Amino acid sequence: MDQALIQGCGLKKYYQSGNTRTAALNGVNFSLQRGAFTVLAGRSGSGKTTLLNMIGLLDRPDEGSLRIAGEDVLAISRRQRANFRLRRIGFIFQAYNLIRVLSARENVAYVQQLRGMKKKQRLELADYWLAQVDLAGLGDRRPDQLSGGQQQRVAVARALASQPEIILADEPTANLDSHNGESLMALMRRLNERENTTFLIASHDPVAMDAARELVSMQDGVMIDRVLRE
Amino acid sequence: MNTVIYLRLGVGNLWLHPTRTGLTLLALVIGIGALGFLSAMMNGMMTNMKSNFVLNEMGHLQIHAKGFEQQRKIELHLNNTETIDAMLAQTPAVRAWSHRLRVSGMASAAGSSATALISGIEAEQESRVSRLREFLVQGAWLRPTQLRDAVLGKVLAERLRLDIGDKLVLMAVAPDGDVMSEVFRLRGTIASGAMEMDNTTVLINLKAAQAWMNLGAGVTDVVIRCRSFADVNPLAQQLRQQLDGHDVEVLRWMDIDPMAEQWTRFNDAYSWVIMAVVMIVILAEVLNTMLMSMHDRLHELGLMAALGTSQGAMFAMVIWETLVLVTLGGVLGFALGYAFTAWYAVHGIDLSRYAEAFSFMYIEPVVYPAMEWQQTLHMMGAALSGACLAGMYPAWQASRLDPVQAMRE
Repeated sequence: MDQALIQGCGLKKYYQSGNTRTAALNGVNFSLQRGAFTVLAGRSGSGKTTLLNMIGLLDRPDEGSLRIAGEDVLAISRRQRANFRLRRIGFIFQAYNLIRVLSARENVAYVQQLRGMKKKQRLELADYWLAQVDLAGLGDRRPDQLSGGQQQRVAVARALASQPEIILADEPTANLDSHNGESLMALMRRLNERENTTFLIASHDPVAMDAARELVSMQDGVMIDRVLRE
Repeated sequence: MNTVIYLRLGVGNLWLHPTRTGLTLLALVIGIGALGFLSAMMNGMMTNMKSNFVLNEMGHLQIHAKGFEQQRKIELHLNNTETIDAMLAQTPAVRAWSHRLRVSGMASAAGSSATALISGIEAEQESRVSRLREFLVQGAWLRPTQLRDAVLGKVLAERLRLDIGDKLVLMAVAPDGDVMSEVFRLRGTIASGAMEMDNTTVLINLKAAQAWMNLGAGVTDVVIRCRSFADVNPLAQQLRQQLDGHDVEVLRWMDIDPMAEQWTRFNDAYSWVIMAVVMIVILAEVLNTMLMSMHDRLHELGLMAALGTSQGAMFAMVIWETLVLVTLGGVLGFALGYAFTAWYAVHGIDLSRYAEAFSFMYIEPVVYPAMEWQQTLHMMGAALSGACLAGMYPAWQASRLDPVQAMRE
């Protein structure tokens, strides 16, 4: 078996609220293979977003170890973490996912610009990925000129355009109607199959869960079930 | 280059809230415009004061026998100025020069008397060096061939109750210690606006003064007018070197009376204080705008950080945004200040209502503002540096953002 792309052991995270200490993650062991399309499911407060943030190097565990592509990502500096996110992880967040003053094309090209790609090349790439998410011809529109579903598609295109090793999506369908939600999940699934891009999605939306090839259920900061759907 | 995207984001973010940005810009434009105009006005006043102060009577430079300026004794006079005259004739920075014989004495007429500063001057040459002749308000100027002519300060003439053509007696102590008196006739009166001058000045022909004091060709002052203020220091240095060993003193206008120079320096310091206060107010406004803008975009900034935008880039982005705002406000503000300055530089600012208050400071009632580019650049530099400073705190906050916390907003 291939080495796991993500390998987390004994991950714990506590939040302090007054005198109360709450465990958001309570010893989670988690691994993810390349090319997976996994949905972390669970109620609000189950710890799925905390786990996603940890894997996305946006947050650090209080205990445990985490390796991504063989690298101990807890040992690297804040600056290196930012660079790791820039080059190896794509993000799709719940809402308000785009930079308001940039056009859809510029939003998709933003990560490439940070990476130093030449303008012509990155804009061509942005147009290509906008076409892949069925937004060809809408590149000049600002986020406020796009529907919620279209905005999420732009976010997917941005995540894919950087060709990361993994795309992390936090409640990507939460602000979409069922039709747009299904359409977005179908799109991500299609891209997963075609590009072999690894997707890890945190969601309690049945539409997202239905699309999963692997479903991981969480409750009270622990993993309670893991089902391979195919 | 990523600077382009930060600039793009900076400009874009500013226009997300056009009213807020517009109000901040307006504050910047008015503040900096007013600062530029005020500074140009003060500059015009100070230039006018310096120029009047020097050209009314004093000249840019004076050459005396060593010690004269401090002791003011007529015994300390220059017997012969041929060497000095020859030297000045060959110096391009010298526009004109004149000789004077100064002595303190008494002026009397019909039972009244007053102390007087009596100056023997070269009637024609004096006009090339000073503005004394321009101050004539009554009667006529000295005639070089009429050795009994006298021109008095207006206030002094009034105190002595003299009319044009009246006789007056001047008394002074000659170098040999004898008290000498001589009769003159009032030819005209001058009013400079400077109280001391109008209250004590008596002008007579140099030759008359030399004969009266038994000084032959002796003079107490060689008064020099330079081509510009910039020539004063180099020329003073040159003359001091050339006249080394001649037992003379070469004094600049600010050595003789540092008042105008001190006023100029005081004005500079005062202007800097005003500038600093205005800048602080403006930059507090900028800081407030940037903090509000950051607060509004917390989620977006968190998103950018999450996508991998480095701390340095986040910092630079906010600084750029501040710089765009202040540069735009600064340029428009200076354009406004310059427009006002240019208009008033031609038409003048009429402060006649306060003419009396200004006259003792040698400032004319109509002020012509003059913008100095060096000063303008200093202000622009100060505004931009201040903007960087004002942007530091929000920029630092942006760079330290926790993406998860920020995106929860």
